[in-house]
Amino acid sequence: MTSREKIQRALAHQPGPVAVDFGSTGLTSFHVSCVAALREHYGLPRHPVKVTEPFQMLGEVEDDLARALGSDCVAANGRGTMFGFANEGWHEWRTPWGQEVLVPAGFRPRVETSGDVYLFPEGDTTVPPSGHMPANGYFFDAIVRQEPIDEDKLDPADNCEEFKPLGAEDIAHWRREFDRVRGETRAVVAGIGGTGFGDIALVPAAFLKHPKGIRDISEWYVSLVERRDYIHKVFDFQCEVALKNLATFAALAGDTVDVLMVCGTDFGTQNSQFCSPATFDELYAPYYRRINDWVHAHTRWKTFKHSCGAVRPLIDRFIGVGFDILNPVQCSAKDMDPVRLKADFGDRITFWGGGVDTQRTLPFGTPAEVRAEVTERLRAFSPNGGFVFNTIHNTQARTPVANIVAMVDAIRDFNGPQP
Amino acid sequence: MPLLTDLSAAVAAGKRIDTIRITQELLAAGTSPQDVVEQGLVPGMANVGELFRRNEIFVPEMLVAARAMKEALKLLEPLLAKAGIKPKYTVVIGTVQGDLHDIGKNLVAMMWKGANFAVVDLGTNVSADRYVAAAREHNANVVGLSALLTTTMPAMKETVRLLKEANLPNVKIMVGGAPITQAFADEIGADGYSADAGSAVNIALKLVGEAA
Repeated sequence: MTSREKIQRALAHQPGPVAVDFGSTGLTSFHVSCVAALREHYGLPRHPVKVTEPFQMLGEVEDDLARALGSDCVAANGRGTMFGFANEGWHEWRTPWGQEVLVPAGFRPRVETSGDVYLFPEGDTTVPPSGHMPANGYFFDAIVRQEPIDEDKLDPADNCEEFKPLGAEDIAHWRREFDRVRGETRAVVAGIGGTGFGDIALVPAAFLKHPKGIRDISEWYVSLVERRDYIHKVFDFQCEVALKNLATFAALAGDTVDVLMVCGTDFGTQNSQFCSPATFDELYAPYYRRINDWVHAHTRWKTFKHSCGAVRPLIDRFIGVGFDILNPVQCSAKDMDPVRLKADFGDRITFWGGGVDTQRTLPFGTPAEVRAEVTERLRAFSPNGGFVFNTIHNTQARTPVANIVAMVDAIRDFNGPQP
Repeated sequence: MPLLTDLSAAVAAGKRIDTIRITQELLAAGTSPQDVVEQGLVPGMANVGELFRRNEIFVPEMLVAARAMKEALKLLEPLLAKAGIKPKYTVVIGTVQGDLHDIGKNLVAMMWKGANFAVVDLGTNVSADRYVAAAREHNANVVGLSALLTTTMPAMKETVRLLKEANLPNVKIMVGGAPITQAFADEIGADGYSADAGSAVNIALKLVGEAA
């Protein structure tokens, strides 16, 4: 059975060996420091690791490491980054924690004497920075650049600057990517951007030089209550563009793609949700339904919804609007017990994640504790498919490599010898 | 007084214009600004906290309510200052060093403000030294530390240690944030832990010895 077949069986809710993803999305991967540590552990060639996602400083899981980890997926990557520059023109950079890495040409940091690091939209150092990694930090956070809001002049078009048709360079890029992954024995995971609605990580628009509209995080949340018409107009425009881009993308991708990463909007907090089920139905569901319906009508892809947190009250709705996959399945959040999730939703949605707690066990536990938790999660989630193993969100910096290896070994032992 | 009850309801529902109007009417009718705060705004925000804790409202609604409260406070604070009336308790809050996340911290700060605490918000990426200095300068009753990242949990531990060493016997330390648990709070020696912004007021009140 190929890796792709393992994933396809899992997505079809059929029993079989547990399928695994390490590194196919910006939500299921490793901090670049962990990638280097894993390469060292597995005796793979030493070289500076590419930072493929500069916002979270995620490292590239190359094919040799993916094999060592037993990953069944490969990414067809988009061209851009969270900072609006392309993932190309690689050069070396020494991180604040002393690691030599490769970063794209547009990664032109300003490092202050305090140790704080700033990044700029499109790599343009003549405009205000849009990302900040504090001294002794390991990730960037978006700098909110909110212009004063004049209620009478608010124009939804200002929040739509980032939603554009795929251009010639994007299309050429995707052709190259599909040439690279066509014929893969692993499942191909891809995303075109612009299909997620109201992702708070994207609201500040670290990729735009001069973002307009509502870009402050609190203002955005307030707008969900007070400016609902505005939000609908943004989502409606975004959805129209996304559907056209999906048609272009599907014509290029065909059956090369197995999974489409649709949306990273977080609806859960640690103990609650960011909105009521009624708000989800009114504000988000119509757009998700249009995206998922189009994908299912025109392709064989399965659609992937990411949402951190305590989303149990919304899972029926995620299923109802057509999502096939839920990630990261944050079992550490309220009412997200793996056994109950599997019993209540496991035959209707694939859990892509939930494998181990990255808030506690993986970074702070012992290898034995990691192994025990991973084995417990495999037992809970894997029966009858509908499960792809992944950590709960990306593995964070400072996670001991011995713990990551304990996780990988536990999966391998659970699956037993593979033909 | 019905108007005070109306004010509580307007704040809890996030009705900014009504909140301003009722506050003005109460002041015009001779209600003391202190009573407007303590009998109008504070019960309204307490209701917000309770609804949030029960998952009947969510972050957006809480933010909208807090905005309504702030509009009323813009009218009331100059009057309170003129009368020399200060909140009974002072709290210092911030997100620990290395961490720039502030949604949770801001929600707690709003709820504390809504409970009529004097709130000194140090922002994000706050060093242990700044917490200690602010606690001393403002004679704080409670210091609140927030962290979202697992990588900044050690900074929270170090900040608690330095606050404990700073000889501030009246300061209670409260912690919170997505990866933080009661067990972690106990392990690092914090005096209190709040799982959500809705619970933060009652926990702070308990720490300062008030029956919540």
